[in-house]
Amino acid sequence: MTSFDMEQLRAADPAMGLRAVGALHRLAERVEAVHVAEARRAGWSWEQIGDALGVTRQSVHAKYGKRESNV
Amino acid sequence: MFERFASAARTAVQDARYEAERRGDRRIGSDHLLLALLEDDELARLVGVDAAAAHDAADQLDRTALAAIGLTLGEFQPTGRAALGRRVPLMTTGGKTVIQQALAKAAAEKARTITSRHLLLALLDRREPDPAATLLAALGIDQPALRARLAATA
Repeated sequence: MTSFDMEQLRAADPAMGLRAVGALHRLAERVEAVHVAEARRAGWSWEQIGDALGVTRQSVHAKYGKRESNV
Repeated sequence: MFERFASAARTAVQDARYEAERRGDRRIGSDHLLLALLEDDELARLVGVDAAAAHDAADQLDRTALAAIGLTLGEFQPTGRAALGRRVPLMTTGGKTVIQQALAKAAAEKARTITSRHLLLALLDRREPDPAATLLAALGIDQPALRARLAATA
């Protein structure tokens, strides 16, 4: 799928490298939002989702619970 | 501090928070303030770039940066809107500076309120690697000309 070249990682200038980190974080947040909603629709509990993401039930509920009640 | 903000400027600051949430950023930055200001049609016309074009440019900057470290997303297009972890996201230091400078510019003009124009002028003072400055550069905006247009609307 994706080639990941450590030499290229080191060669990137700081502005590009740090922007890439921000971009990855943004991507992760968007992908997480989609799949947490999917899991809830499929009947997963907040605890199960928290375990899958490696965070507490409370933190995942605090982040997405309010949004779900708005839908 | 925000009570002196004219309604358009106040909306922009609130929209910046929404921008940060939508994009999946942890803090409200100068780039979110810029994206939020461009939601205003009148200001977008003055700048010569609308919010949609600015969003595309920001996404392209992300893709370019990922490519620079050897990651290509190909057809992958995340469709989701991110959610913020905390209720009230903090501002980055760059974001705070923009607000402070907008205040200072309004004070220098003896203006009673801080308007979108003051915010935009403060954004134009940012220098790379500030994310708003990077975005303005990517959009190819003629900054001296824009400053002149903004001065004319004072």
